[in-house]
Amino acid sequence: MREEAHRFGRGRHLVGIAGVPDGAPGETGVIVLNAGLVHRIGPFRLHVELTRQLNEAGYPTLRFDLSTLGDSGATGGGLTRAQQVCADLDDAMNLLKARAGCERFVLVGLCSGAQNAHIVAATDPRVSGAVFLDGYAYRTLGYKLRHYLPRLVDPGRWARLLRRKPAASTERPASEPVFAVAPAPRDEVIADFTGMVERGMKLYLVYSGGISNYFNHARQFRECFGRVMNHPAVTTRYVAETDHTYILTGDRARLLDGIGGWLQRNFPPAHAGRPA
Amino acid sequence: MRPDAELPFFFGPDGGLFGMYHAPDVPAHRAVLMCAPLGQDLIRCHRIYRQLAQALAGQGLAVLRFDYHGTGDSAGETATVDWDRCVADTVLAAAELRARSGVERVVAFGARLGGSIAMCAAERAGFAEAIVWDPVLDGSDYVAALDAMQAALREDAGRFTQPRSHADVAEQWLGFDTDDRLRRQLRALTVGPAKVPTMVLDSLGASETFAWNRWVAPQGKVAGIAPPTPWNDLRRLETAILSQPVIQAVSGRLRETA
Repeated sequence: MREEAHRFGRGRHLVGIAGVPDGAPGETGVIVLNAGLVHRIGPFRLHVELTRQLNEAGYPTLRFDLSTLGDSGATGGGLTRAQQVCADLDDAMNLLKARAGCERFVLVGLCSGAQNAHIVAATDPRVSGAVFLDGYAYRTLGYKLRHYLPRLVDPGRWARLLRRKPAASTERPASEPVFAVAPAPRDEVIADFTGMVERGMKLYLVYSGGISNYFNHARQFRECFGRVMNHPAVTTRYVAETDHTYILTGDRARLLDGIGGWLQRNFPPAHAGRPA
Repeated sequence: MRPDAELPFFFGPDGGLFGMYHAPDVPAHRAVLMCAPLGQDLIRCHRIYRQLAQALAGQGLAVLRFDYHGTGDSAGETATVDWDRCVADTVLAAAELRARSGVERVVAFGARLGGSIAMCAAERAGFAEAIVWDPVLDGSDYVAALDAMQAALREDAGRFTQPRSHADVAEQWLGFDTDDRLRRQLRALTVGPAKVPTMVLDSLGASETFAWNRWVAPQGKVAGIAPPTPWNDLRRLETAILSQPVIQAVSGRLRETA
């Protein structure tokens, strides 16, 4: 396996690291998008660990910075953010095709990375799979019942509420960056997921306990997105104990093993791009 | 800025060190090596290191940012980060910067442990000057602070729905695997008085006091930076460290001493 540093893109404005496994070209490449504002190495180096583990398993990879994030610049082309994301991913796919012969791609994104991966996955036929980590979600009736009912019937909580002093010092500072996914209309997201699986894409949704302010149970995938979550092309996983950015190395290792296993089942390197 | 003025590349004997070279538009007479901190501070400082590198390249200096073995985009697993190797990588990076820029006179910049590494490498790397931002001078205090934050992280209700087990958080510092060797190395770390002209940027505020003036003498300078930088605030662990005053102070110092 070798890693190559690239400046690439139509404006040569993007920076990324391609990981190219030894041996024959791989048909399916994995592209990892920025999580929030963190540069391409990912939160706590998650993206470095993920891409290197996938390289060892035979997958070419690219971790890179989208326009204006990390080390990448702006093109000044007057595109909307969604158009720019699509253009950047087009550049990224062309690079991985040129370096490793990839024809199809799996996108991996956490948080805003999942949102950006979703935008491209919904429209680009070269994308054959996507891993959405803490992507789109909505507070459903089920969420509210699971969240509020136990609180309503907890006498200790009522007692604490009545005794509570103002101005709790443990509140998060207002300057905290937003590590969250901006909402999109649920009907549109469901239509996107439906379109993705109908054209043969494989989806892996992994949601964490770190988004417990709007997602709190494995059942919520179905509550949010309906029947498409039961499609055989869709795999879902809810990991209640972990946080949003996988700060603990054991949680991170289990996430990477999960993604690696899902890829092996759906895009085995020797037959990359063809469902198992 | 020309996009090609910032070149990502790998260097070092085994090609395992990642670097980003910022070439100035005019022939450079001085160069700046930017030594990254370790752990989560590296990620938090990425943006300001890039902003500072661009500002310095804009005033005609050749600049190299790089990642030590086991950090950032460089080769190596996180658990293999080794203090002595960080210092050795800094010496290698200084040579790489001289070779790329054709400039002999190299100034080092570093925040927190990056400042400490710059000071430890100063003689071997032949730095003409060091500009260090809240450098860690006493490793045992630093290790104690990391341990305390890691212990608090286990029960951080803003992060986890339930407290995690002691085993879940063991042998890690704030998202990064660590081992006994690095712990011992940092515990034993004492950065003595500067042996090259040094400027200290102090943004620790009232939280820590240190007699910088004795440490940087005789050719040194100390500049207070406000507001204080929240290096050890668990609530801001994933917030970027940004400081226009730091960029202005470093740019100004290098303009003064040009």
